[in-house]
Amino acid sequence: MTQQEPRYRRSFGDLSERALAFWLLLPATLLLGLVALYPVARLFHNSLFRRRLTDETGTNPVFVGLGNFAQALSDERFWTALWNTFLIVLVTVPGALVVGLLLALLANLPFQVRWPVRLGLLLPWALPLVFAGLIFRWFFDSQYGVVNDVLVRLGGERLLWVTTPELLFWAVCLTIIWKTSSFVALILLAGLQVIPKELYEAAAVDGASRWQSFWRITLPLLTPALLVAAIFRTITAFQTFDIPFAMQNGGSSFETLAMYVRTTSIENLNFGYGSALAVLMFLVSLGVTLLYLRHIRGADD
Amino acid sequence: MKRFFWLLVAVLLASSGLAQQTRLRVFVGGQQRPDVMRKILDLYQQRNPGVRVDIEVGGATSDQQQQYLTTVLASRDPSIDIILIDVIRPAQYLASRWADTIDKYLPAATRQALLRQYLPAYTQANVINGQLVALPGFADAMFLYYRTDLLEKYGFKPPTTWEEVIQQAQTILQRENNPTLNGIGFIGAPAEGAVCTFLLPVWAAGGDVTNAQGQFALTVEQAQRALQFWVSLMDQRVSPPNMAEKPQDTIRQEMQAGRWVFGTLFAYAWNRFQNDADSQVKGKIGVVPLPAFPGGRQVSCLGGWQWVVSDFSRNKAQAHKLVRFLSSPEVSKILAIEASNLPVFPALYRDPDILRVNPWFAQALPVVQAARARPQHPRYAEISEVIRVTTNQVLARQKTAEQGARDIVNRLQAIYSGR
Repeated sequence: MTQQEPRYRRSFGDLSERALAFWLLLPATLLLGLVALYPVARLFHNSLFRRRLTDETGTNPVFVGLGNFAQALSDERFWTALWNTFLIVLVTVPGALVVGLLLALLANLPFQVRWPVRLGLLLPWALPLVFAGLIFRWFFDSQYGVVNDVLVRLGGERLLWVTTPELLFWAVCLTIIWKTSSFVALILLAGLQVIPKELYEAAAVDGASRWQSFWRITLPLLTPALLVAAIFRTITAFQTFDIPFAMQNGGSSFETLAMYVRTTSIENLNFGYGSALAVLMFLVSLGVTLLYLRHIRGADD
Repeated sequence: MKRFFWLLVAVLLASSGLAQQTRLRVFVGGQQRPDVMRKILDLYQQRNPGVRVDIEVGGATSDQQQQYLTTVLASRDPSIDIILIDVIRPAQYLASRWADTIDKYLPAATRQALLRQYLPAYTQANVINGQLVALPGFADAMFLYYRTDLLEKYGFKPPTTWEEVIQQAQTILQRENNPTLNGIGFIGAPAEGAVCTFLLPVWAAGGDVTNAQGQFALTVEQAQRALQFWVSLMDQRVSPPNMAEKPQDTIRQEMQAGRWVFGTLFAYAWNRFQNDADSQVKGKIGVVPLPAFPGGRQVSCLGGWQWVVSDFSRNKAQAHKLVRFLSSPEVSKILAIEASNLPVFPALYRDPDILRVNPWFAQALPVVQAARARPQHPRYAEISEVIRVTTNQVLARQKTAEQGARDIVNRLQAIYSGR
């Protein structure tokens, strides 16, 4: 590496190489700008206008400044949706991390044949979110669902899972945890496999119990992987949409922020206000991401 | 070389032939019998060799279809030329400028003559601010379906009031003592049909969302009574406690499997009960007008589907020609026979070919003529959401009928006052 460095420096000064780098990076930059930057900029722009496709402002938007944001702050439905989204994050991120860790530890055991375990890990992850929502909607159906069937066999009562908000919340969380813990497990499994085996051998020689070596070796060395998993999981949890949407048959008794954005823009055709809500959601996600990034840098230092 | 030359000629001829052919794309919902629509379009293609019509099948419910169409139309996508839309949507299509209005292609005299042939409710639904937005494809209304075998077994006549329905359901459920049999099915899931569920008792009591001048007129008391009526069916155990889970087509499927005594459903259900291979109730289903509500009159909820030409179509003239065919008596008759869709022409309700397949159409005309229309408003999507979600919440017992009624009235008032 050190021997190659002078050559690298020389070529960096070489204009034609720089030009080459420019041209090589240009397509990716343009593509990113087109699919990421332009829509976000357009979203911010839209959020400053009154624009409903249901009246004349659909073709002639009226500039309202921060009016849409003021409306959102006094909109009870916005705060409920935001609160619901936070609750989803609060329950499903730790939930998925714990279940994912257990799955990763299980998959890391020295099985004779490893592929069935790995495949089992991958399946929920490969399933589209809406399918997971629809499948679990049937599981929780009060009449035909397997959950109520088990409850009744155990001597319990049939519960109206999908139409009782408190029960629906837990049904949604359970589905999300089932769906997302395999993604967490995949990341953690990779993290587990880079922990040197010698550490465990040394700990065993020193007389540490398995429990101790888990707390003293596995968990500390797994922290970077756990953090990465937590970041990705938190960001996607803030965007939770598919599963609660699919589980409610088009209802909105339990509504996340993403669901409110969709209803406002796509169903009610209120693009100005819908954009403002989406901007607020974007800011929340951005805030969380920055917080985590700072944390990671702190950990690196 | 010579063979290559002839091949080239053949390719050129074929491609110019393709270029002359107009291709139209028609969107219909999954529940609007795409199989029957295909037959009708094949007929049109036979008669118009220069036109090829493709069919695109959308979601099962009216709201699912519109969600998809909104993204297509808001992005000015020209790929769809003709759309079959629900009776509640023409006002929104006009306000959003998604429809290429029919007027341009109709001389005033023809327009008047044409509109006089249809049931007046559909002329009213499709003419918004004097502009003809769409033409009706088929009519629809809600009816009471019942099990003829069960009613006969206990000596009951088809009911004409809800008191009778409740009493008959109670007796039959008790005597049959069959845990898989349910009493009265109505639309309780938060889909579009729940708007009708809410409005039926309101209309029966003489109320409506707006008055004759189009101003908001619904009172909390009217709304509360309506919600209370449906909740009381669950309280009296003639409807199961999970009605909030039931969209229309679930009730249709369950009734088809013999699990309901009564069901309030739109007209499409008849054909499925009689003709579906898996139907357990062939020949055991009767249809009557919806019963009278306590202290009220008999009403039904107007449904029906309209053909509209997309404003982003690149073949508008051809599309209009096809829409005229699709809204003709000939097609109305095919739809009535093959899909039990109610005709939009009053004369067809006496057509012997149609009555042979759908004997109950003979008494359906007055129901359709008296059926009430849901509110016409460019922001209907919001009105619908308020009503169907709140009605669903009351049926799920998340809110009392009184709380639900207050929510509906307050939020509708906000929409009508432009907030």
